[in-house]
Amino acid sequence: MIKMMPHFLESGFEAEFLYTLIVVVLCFLVYHKTKEIYELTKHQGIKYFRSAFLFLGLAYVSRFLLHLIILTGISLRFIIPKRIMFFPVFTVPVTYLSTMAIFFLIYSTIWKRIQYKNFLILSNIVAILISVTAFFSRSLILVSILQLIILLFTVMISTRNHKKKKKKYTRTLYFLISILWLINLLLLSPGRIFPPGSKILFQTFSIIVFVVVYFKVLKWIK
Amino acid sequence: MNKKRDRLEVIYDFLRIIQDNHNSIKPTPLLRKSNLSSQSFNDYFEELLSKDFVKEIYDKKKKRYITLSDKGFHYLEKYKTILGFIDDFDL
Repeated sequence: MIKMMPHFLESGFEAEFLYTLIVVVLCFLVYHKTKEIYELTKHQGIKYFRSAFLFLGLAYVSRFLLHLIILTGISLRFIIPKRIMFFPVFTVPVTYLSTMAIFFLIYSTIWKRIQYKNFLILSNIVAILISVTAFFSRSLILVSILQLIILLFTVMISTRNHKKKKKKYTRTLYFLISILWLINLLLLSPGRIFPPGSKILFQTFSIIVFVVVYFKVLKWIK
Repeated sequence: MNKKRDRLEVIYDFLRIIQDNHNSIKPTPLLRKSNLSSQSFNDYFEELLSKDFVKEIYDKKKKRYITLSDKGFHYLEKYKTILGFIDDFDL
């Protein structure tokens, strides 16, 4: 019997779409809700916090597009043999946007202690370098490893510069957002890195973390 | 206390003094009550004026008064929220 359903619909496309939609909507809501207090204060921390969620939202959109390319590319591999060309091109925005999001998220908590004038230039240079690496290596695993190194390095700086322990909960939340992003990226990689069924678990947990952040924002900004 | 938090507090105090004076105060008593140096006072005043938090008005004798704009009132209303948000998210 000939299957009428396109391949990508059989590959968890709907679940992926729903997951991306929820995360992206939550990210953009956080960005939108904080607009007013940023415009009133021009507070640098709020600016970096908002930028982190804007870039995260865009990173998840581009990740979804990359996922779509992988799925449709596989199903149409006899029609479009050069599908491999799309993959490296689409890894660039995914890598750049997510690297910047991680930088913004961590820097929003340490900018007061480390007022680094060239933060934007340096973070852009690093994000572009990793994007170029992603383009040529075509390896999302390598991107994840590089982002993990950045994350661990920035977390180390952040921990060293935080004397107060009371805000550990917020920083743990930021760390979880970043780690869950890396896992999401690895889930796109070919081959089984995680056990079957773990994807839905990670994605559910990821949604919970974003919902927690959103409600934390709502607590202050109705 | 961090520098940025101080800045937000100074702006709050500045606006609050104007509000507490029936939303109309002359520059000299405002300078005195704000506990700022002349230079800092001028910097903050120029900033708040350019960002439309305060307005300058003149009476019939051409004396200058400073009043709050809608944005200034809005800042005072939102101040607690802003501080709470910044503290909660460790920003």
